Amino acid sequence: MNLLAFGVLGTMLAMYVLLDGYDLGVATLAFVIGRNERERGAAMESVGPFLNGNEVWLIAAGGALFALFPQAYASSFSGFYLPFMVVLWLLMFRGIALELRHHFPGEMWRSFWDFAFFFSSALLTVLFGVAMGNLLRGVPLDRDGYFQGTFAFLLNPYALGVGLFALIALALHGGTFLMFRIAGEFAARAQRAVLVLFWPVAILYAVVTGATFLMRAPAHALPTWLFVMPFVSLAALGAVRVFAARGDGTRTFAASSLFVVSLMLAAGGTMYPYVLPGYPAGSGGLSLDGAAASPFALYSALAVTIAGLGAVLIYATVVFRRFTTPLHLD
Amino acid sequence: MDVVLIDRLQFAFTVMFHYLFPIGTMGLAPFVAFYTWRAAKSGSELDARSARFWTTIFTINFAAGVVTGIPMEFQFGTNWANFSAKSGSVIGQPLAMEGIYAFFLESIFLGVLLYGKDYVPKLFHAFSATLVCLGSWLSGYFIVATDAWMQHPVGYGVAGSRIEMQSLSAVLFSKFALWQFAHVLCAALVAGGFIVAGVGAYYLLSKRQLDYGRRFVRAGVLVGLVFSLVTVFPTGDRNGADVTEYQPIKLAAMEGLFESAKDAPLAIIGMPDTQTRKLIDPILVPDILSFLAYGNINANVKGLNDYATVLWPPVELTYYAYHVMVGLGTIFIALTALAALLLFLKRLERSRWVLWALMLLMPFPYIANEAGWTVTEVGRQPWIVYGLIKTADAASPTVAAGEVVFTLLGFLGMYFVLGVLFIYLTLREIALGPEPRRRLTVVPGVEAPA
Repeated sequence: MNLLAFGVLGTMLAMYVLLDGYDLGVATLAFVIGRNERERGAAMESVGPFLNGNEVWLIAAGGALFALFPQAYASSFSGFYLPFMVVLWLLMFRGIALELRHHFPGEMWRSFWDFAFFFSSALLTVLFGVAMGNLLRGVPLDRDGYFQGTFAFLLNPYALGVGLFALIALALHGGTFLMFRIAGEFAARAQRAVLVLFWPVAILYAVVTGATFLMRAPAHALPTWLFVMPFVSLAALGAVRVFAARGDGTRTFAASSLFVVSLMLAAGGTMYPYVLPGYPAGSGGLSLDGAAASPFALYSALAVTIAGLGAVLIYATVVFRRFTTPLHLD
Repeated sequence: MDVVLIDRLQFAFTVMFHYLFPIGTMGLAPFVAFYTWRAAKSGSELDARSARFWTTIFTINFAAGVVTGIPMEFQFGTNWANFSAKSGSVIGQPLAMEGIYAFFLESIFLGVLLYGKDYVPKLFHAFSATLVCLGSWLSGYFIVATDAWMQHPVGYGVAGSRIEMQSLSAVLFSKFALWQFAHVLCAALVAGGFIVAGVGAYYLLSKRQLDYGRRFVRAGVLVGLVFSLVTVFPTGDRNGADVTEYQPIKLAAMEGLFESAKDAPLAIIGMPDTQTRKLIDPILVPDILSFLAYGNINANVKGLNDYATVLWPPVELTYYAYHVMVGLGTIFIALTALAALLLFLKRLERSRWVLWALMLLMPFPYIANEAGWTVTEVGRQPWIVYGLIKTADAASPTVAAGEVVFTLLGFLGMYFVLGVLFIYLTLREIALGPEPRRRLTVVPGVEAPA
């Protein structure tokens, strides 16, 4: 049951990274490759209808973490108090920037909100990456799972590397979304960006995966299936390149989605059986069993979560089918 | 500095600021749905523009609500880790359900409402407005259910230091939650009614957008009247009965009652003094408190003196908040009843001072809503979960007062800017009106009128 709860939580987080990942990536990439206000506007428009819904995955995952693993919710959120507040402020700032863009006409304010949206999105992506990196590396914890280290501890080279990887990998993911949603010359530029980003993403992926393996493998036995994941990820990334070269937006985006999900799956497998691994590797941590709610509470929370997500999946599919016509810029 | 105090200040500030926007969304959503349906059915330009106007105002509220709501979901963990770790298996569930059952519904169908006009059939578009309304109400329900459990815990068991969920349906459908939600929703609808009526009154007074002014005043006054009555009876009355039954100390603080009394009087005004333990300069109505609390003028109502002072909530704040809420509620009934009468006599449009009152009273339902929540939450002290966990034991062990002061200052700064922007945008939309000469805001999928 604890494992199922971990799986459900992981699925929700993977959905978040997959979905909000593309709009974070679009925000980052569009600012770099968009030549004028109209193009950046179209990029923001392409994610506009979905962004709120995408962010709900984070809120819902937060709620699910609260219900399923109360101790992990309590000790991680309070343990990383300041970094967490910075993330909250950036999420708020990003929401404000997107909304206000509609309300302030004129090129001057548009360019300001575009920059605010880009800045908060890019910084959030890096911070999410750094957080993921620290989860994989482990953090010093006391008996109840409260963080015992300093802010500076969290800014280690490995975690910063994962942060950089998150930034360019999601920029690539956002590029594939633009290829999928937008037609015309701007989509062609997104396609070139995807092809250019392919190599840095692939190289950094290899470096991060190798470093994670060296750090974690000696400490505790990793599950066998985890060793297959790099091949899945690389195959998906390869497919991104092949489809992008052909200009097939739909398949490129699908392959990139598979790549993102495989990364999250591998991260979950590396952390298991801890929700909050300790540092140094092998020193235990806050385990699933130590953090989970009682069996009955888990059972009821899982039942309502799975039933609710099923319903969401159905109506979201019905709605999004209506929105799949590409946007034309010209 | 006491970290719990700063934690409480931060939570009070962020939640009270946040709640301003759910009042707007829960209260305006039915108007958005109503005008969107009418527009889909009648095809009239008047309905379509009314729908678009209220959708824009609603969306500004919604966006500010989402932005300020994000920290709420996570502050239990950041600032109240002991509380979260102990009771997360119970309160985590309605909070998770809010995300899964309400937020997805609200945000996905708001996407359809805003962007979908060209993509979906008309009736589906109107149906989306109804689902957005349902989503915003459901979201309110899950939050109230969480709070109601903290007021009156049910369906749980204690295992070691942890409180464990034993029945989700007991938590979700507790009597306390149902009446509290009914009261909260009606109060939000009063605010919605006053906003719509107030905007309408502004148009009539300024002699522009007259067609819209008339229909907004009519709709707003009727909704305002019906729900300011229902807010008092039965929902407020039943809510009060639950407080009487489960939280008698809160009741005594609300009423400023120090001495226990049979045939206890109701204090209309008066200032409680906790030093001398009496009400200064009171105006009392004999027997009424006994009657309101127990339906019997001879019933014994326990006063604060019967309880140890460590169990007292902050008496003054609870007392004043309650009296502000009740006083404003009475004014709302009087004003909307008068306006409805004039409406019936077809004289409202000429009664300029009533229109002025409708316009100027627009902010007061917000104050009444916030005051009501202040009674609920401050009156619950010193408990965070009534009878189970003290607020003093609930904060995060690893977070220092200095850290919370820093983030509180950050929230103050950010919310100040947000508040200014919100007021600016809302007033600008109202000034432009449903039928503007030129439209500044670009709502995607909605063609700008020439």
